[in-house]
Amino acid sequence: MSLDPGFIWTAFLSLFKALPNTLYITIVSVFVGFIIGTAIALIRIYRIPVLYPLASAYVLFIRGTPMLMHLLLIYFGLPIIIDGLASALGLGFNSTVIPLIGFAYISFSITAGAYMSEVVRAGILSVNRGQMEAAYSIGMTTPQALRRIVLPQALAVCLPNLSNNLIGMLHGSTLAFTVSVVEINAQAQIVAATNWKFLEAYIAAAVLFWGMTILIEQATAWLERRINKYNRGGVA
Amino acid sequence: MIELKQISKSFGKNQVLQSIDLTVEKGEVVVILGPSGSGKTTLLRCINYLEKPDNGQIRIGDFKLDFKTAGKKDIHNLRQRSAMVFQHYNLFKHKTALENVMEGLLIVQKLPKDEARRRSTQMLEKVGLAAKLDAYPSELSGGQQQRVGIARALALNPEVILFDEPTSALDPELVGEVLDVIRKIAGEGITMIVVTHEMGFARDVANHVVFMDGGVIVEEGKPSELFGKPKEERTKQFLKRIAPEPSYSI
Repeated sequence: MSLDPGFIWTAFLSLFKALPNTLYITIVSVFVGFIIGTAIALIRIYRIPVLYPLASAYVLFIRGTPMLMHLLLIYFGLPIIIDGLASALGLGFNSTVIPLIGFAYISFSITAGAYMSEVVRAGILSVNRGQMEAAYSIGMTTPQALRRIVLPQALAVCLPNLSNNLIGMLHGSTLAFTVSVVEINAQAQIVAATNWKFLEAYIAAAVLFWGMTILIEQATAWLERRINKYNRGGVA
Repeated sequence: MIELKQISKSFGKNQVLQSIDLTVEKGEVVVILGPSGSGKTTLLRCINYLEKPDNGQIRIGDFKLDFKTAGKKDIHNLRQRSAMVFQHYNLFKHKTALENVMEGLLIVQKLPKDEARRRSTQMLEKVGLAAKLDAYPSELSGGQQQRVGIARALALNPEVILFDEPTSALDPELVGEVLDVIRKIAGEGITMIVVTHEMGFARDVANHVVFMDGGVIVEEGKPSELFGKPKEERTKQFLKRIAPEPSYSI
C-alpha cells in the first residue's frame, strides 16, 4: 500500500463539512462545563449542605469513569428516563425528538464540568484570603466579592488549565462518532472507507486537529498576556 | 462613638479575647499596643466582623449589634460602618490604584461613576499618589500600596478606620511615608483604631492608648499617662522592652 499525497488534500477539504459539528460539540461542552464546574467548585469550597456530598460524588464518579462511558450511558439511559417521564406525565413527545448531537452535548458537558470544577476550585483557592477580607472590609457581600474580586483573579490563574481542558474536549469530541454524529473523525472515516485510502484521510484529520489546537494555544497565550497585565510589575 | 461590650473569642481551646470592653469617642485616635498573641489584631478584626466573636455587643454610632444573634444583614450593615487597612495591604491585585479606591464606592455605595472617580482621585491625591492612579499594585512599592489602602478606606467615609499593623510589613525606609499619611488624616478628626508597634507614633498621635496582654485590656489611658507613669507591672515591662530608656538619660 502506497501513500497518495494528493488524496490527503482532497480528504482535508472534505473534512470541513464536519468541522461545525466538532466545533459545536467542543464549544457547548466547554461552555456548559465551565458553568457546571464553577458551580461545583463553589459548592465544594463553601461546603453547602446537601449539595456538597452530591457535588463530591459527581466529581468522583465522572472522573472515575471514561468519557466514552458517559456518552454511552447518556445515549442509552437518557431516552429511557425521558420516555418514562413523558408517558407518566402524559406529555406528547418522546426521546426521538432529541437530535443525536444533543446526547454528545449533554454527556460531554457533564464530563467537562467534573474536570473543570477541579481547575476552577484550584484557581479560587489560589487567591489569597486577604483579597476576600479586603472585599468584606469595604462592605461587599460574598457574591459581590466572588464576582468582582476573587473569580477574575482565579480565572487568570486557571487559564492555562482551562485551555488544556478545551484542547482535551476538542480531541474528545471525536468520541461522538460512536453515537453516529459526523464530526471530523467520523467524516475522515467516511472519506477513507469510500475511497479505500485510510492513512491519507487520517493524516488529513490529524492535521486539521493540530491546526485547531495551535489556534487555541495562540488564543490562550494572547488572553493570558492580556489578563495578567496586572502582574507586570513583578511585586507579589 | 464606638462601644464594645464583653467581646469574647476563642480559637478552639485558646481564649484570645476575654470579655473586652472598650469605648472610643468620635474623632479619637486609639492605639492598641501589646505583645504578639495578646489579641489586639483579633479585637480589631471583630469590629469589622472579619472574625466572629463568640460573645459580646458592639455599637457604632446608632447601629447596635449582638454578635450572638447577628444575621447576614446585620453583618453587612456593621461592615459598612468601618473600613480596614491591612498589614499586608490586600489591595485588589487585578485593579489599578484608582479602581481599588473606586470599587467600594461603585459596588457598595452605588455612587455614579463620575462621582466615584472624582472622590477616589481626590483621596489618592490626599495620600500623595496623584501620579499613580493607573498603576497596578504590583507596580507600586509597599509604602505606596499601603497609602492606596488608606485611600480606599478613607474614600468610603466610614465612621471608623481600623488599622491593623499598617507599617509592620514595610521596609523601615518606607514606614515614615505611611505614618505621615495616617498622622495627617488623624488631624482631620477621623475616628481611628490603630494596632501598631510604632511607639513614637502612638505617643504623638494617639488620644488614647490601650495596652493588651493575654486577651484582656491591662491598662488604658492618655498616652502621657500610659507611657509616662504606667500603673501595671506588665505594662512597665512591655514598654521597657520595646522602648528602653536611652542610655544618656539622667
